[in-house]
Amino acid sequence: MQFGATTLTPAEESLRAEVRDFLAAELPADHRPALGFAGRYDPDFSRKLAARGWVGMAIPPEYGGHGRSAVERFVVAEELLAAGAPIGAHFVADRQTGPTLLHFGTEEQRRRFLPGIAAGEIYFSLGMSEPDSGSDLASVRTRATRVDGGWTVTGTKVWTSEAHRNHFFAVLCRTSPMEEGRKHAGLSQLIVDLHADGVTISPIPYLDGSHHFNEVALEDVFVPDDMVLGEIGSGWQQVTSELAYERSGPDRWLSTFPVLREFVREGAGKAVADDEATVIGRLAARAWAIRALSLSVARALDAGEVPAIEAALVKEVGTRFEQDLVEALRGAAETEVDQGTGTLFQQLLAEAVLTSPSYTLRGGTTEILRSVAAKGLA
Amino acid sequence: MSEHSTMLTEVAAGLMRDLCTPEDVVAAEATGWSDRLWSALAEAGFPYVSVPEEVGGSGGDVADACALLAVAGRFAAPVPLAESGLLAGWALAAAGLELPEGPVSVAAGRPGDVVELSGGPGRWRLTARVQRVPWGARSTRVVLLASVGGERHVVSAPTAVAQVEPGRNLAAEPRDTLAWDDVPLADEAVAAAPAGVDPDALRLRGALGRAALISGALQRVAELTVRYTGERQQFGRPVARFQAVQAHLVTIAEEAELARLAVEVAARNARPDPGFFDVAAAASVTGEAATVAARAAHQAHGAIGMTKEYELGQLSRRLWSWRDEFGSERAWGRELGRRLAGAGADELWPRISTGLVSA
Repeated sequence: MQFGATTLTPAEESLRAEVRDFLAAELPADHRPALGFAGRYDPDFSRKLAARGWVGMAIPPEYGGHGRSAVERFVVAEELLAAGAPIGAHFVADRQTGPTLLHFGTEEQRRRFLPGIAAGEIYFSLGMSEPDSGSDLASVRTRATRVDGGWTVTGTKVWTSEAHRNHFFAVLCRTSPMEEGRKHAGLSQLIVDLHADGVTISPIPYLDGSHHFNEVALEDVFVPDDMVLGEIGSGWQQVTSELAYERSGPDRWLSTFPVLREFVREGAGKAVADDEATVIGRLAARAWAIRALSLSVARALDAGEVPAIEAALVKEVGTRFEQDLVEALRGAAETEVDQGTGTLFQQLLAEAVLTSPSYTLRGGTTEILRSVAAKGLA
Repeated sequence: MSEHSTMLTEVAAGLMRDLCTPEDVVAAEATGWSDRLWSALAEAGFPYVSVPEEVGGSGGDVADACALLAVAGRFAAPVPLAESGLLAGWALAAAGLELPEGPVSVAAGRPGDVVELSGGPGRWRLTARVQRVPWGARSTRVVLLASVGGERHVVSAPTAVAQVEPGRNLAAEPRDTLAWDDVPLADEAVAAAPAGVDPDALRLRGALGRAALISGALQRVAELTVRYTGERQQFGRPVARFQAVQAHLVTIAEEAELARLAVEVAARNARPDPGFFDVAAAASVTGEAATVAARAAHQAHGAIGMTKEYELGQLSRRLWSWRDEFGSERAWGRELGRRLAGAGADELWPRISTGLVSA
């Protein structure tokens, strides 16, 4: 295990102070905190954040980015998430697609997409899940067929976040038929324009009534050769490394933090009961320790290490914590919650109750993560 | 961990590998004490790590002491290492009292303890009854905090003149009740306590020491469980291949790593003394980790974990005791929560994200 306790340098701490000042100026006093990275979609906010250099931090300057470290990205991300800032528009492109394009994209693709991602203007969705492919991603049925100058793609993707507002998505598909015993071969990633002919986007109504997820049907969608992401046939390796990038950041343990903060705010000026104090203290302590693990992974990435097992452990323990926090506060508050009514705390609690089951599903279920981690522990 | 800490822990681990095998720990249960191990540790200067060299200690800081205690926890060392330097040695050195030869322990200041110091130079007298003193009867001296006329004093009470009611914790480590009935004390055994040497500071150090012991024991619990489930075959394959068992391995690894980092951060921030927020958070995290990981480890081991000969039980029984000593996870969580609630909603995140360094 490579988790090592680490501290932030004075430069990293002053970056934190800058982000806090920015948030204090940009978020209205009555702003309703978003829960997690997908909590609120606000392109204006994304562009303002990008203007400060805090989107595309991992992208080198020659592609319009900022060439910052993983720890610096960590600091910015945790400040945004703790404040409940509306980062839903750019977050997936920033966290996931940018690094993937940087590693696997062609020079032309990097020049075409990375400056827009870093400017907070180009938004990506993920095109992995299908009606019959969840955790078993290699079983995807979306198929691309070779045609003159490119590929035509046919199939259906589901749980595509913000496809109705984003610009592109990276589609995992079969470019050659599955062979017996080699199910990871023959997969590729294609960048598909969400506004292309043959793309039909329909909402998947979410448990809380929001429109966030979509089904995206692709019917003979033409994808030119220059939109093939990485190598034809290397889709599996690319996707699995992409999942490793996104596993262990603050978005995996801070999603419900605003609920805790508002619980504390609601109790201000009143005597704190013993069981309420215990819940606050134990949640804060656990968040503090999980943060130490998560930060340690960022530091290891900057040192050129590949802490894949550690990242899986952080996501497994972090996302369960996000859910435990909700139940602990519900227990302490002894209230009945409805959507959209009551105090800010009650509203956030209701939102968290309805949406938090997804935290241990998205980006790799708890069960898949345990299996990944256990193999590394043996 | 600093280079100094690393060297220290390597030497200590080497010594314990030789003198504190699982068989040694089982053999020490009759008395709760290993003379051979203590002598070797004392000769190497380990008991007084974190006590300044100028006053006869071994030097180093709180982080060094915690790194050493993690090693002691890993080996289930049946000696009062946590009590000697971090607690008793600290108080004695700060008050300018002599560091005794032989093991030294401390009274935690438990509810129901009585400590009455009277008289003055040349005529000090002690009447006291203190409970659950770790290795109390085995120690040459026990450090007590006492007030005389509103002034706090550090007392280095000789155990030779104390009445002893022996006691044991769940792991058969001595937790003795000691009583002194109007006993005269030499002037060399009493000194005014300097600022910062008080029951709260003692409790913080005690809790941090227990957290460090727990973190070391959990590392070993994790290793044992991975090894055993990889060897144990049922239904024709190692049980570690079953997803249900893998879930236990992952839980133990997570809790062990959370505990280890919590202690490292809290110890590193102790400059020179441990701070409330760090210790409270670390004690809350390690207490929970001890509970959750011990349960998962026993479940993954099956019946073998319940035999006294097997190493897991030596560790889990200590975890079940250590998590409650100097305050349970619930007690520390409650106190931490009270202070955080008092500081207000907008102070919550800044404290978590700065490692809770400052109060």
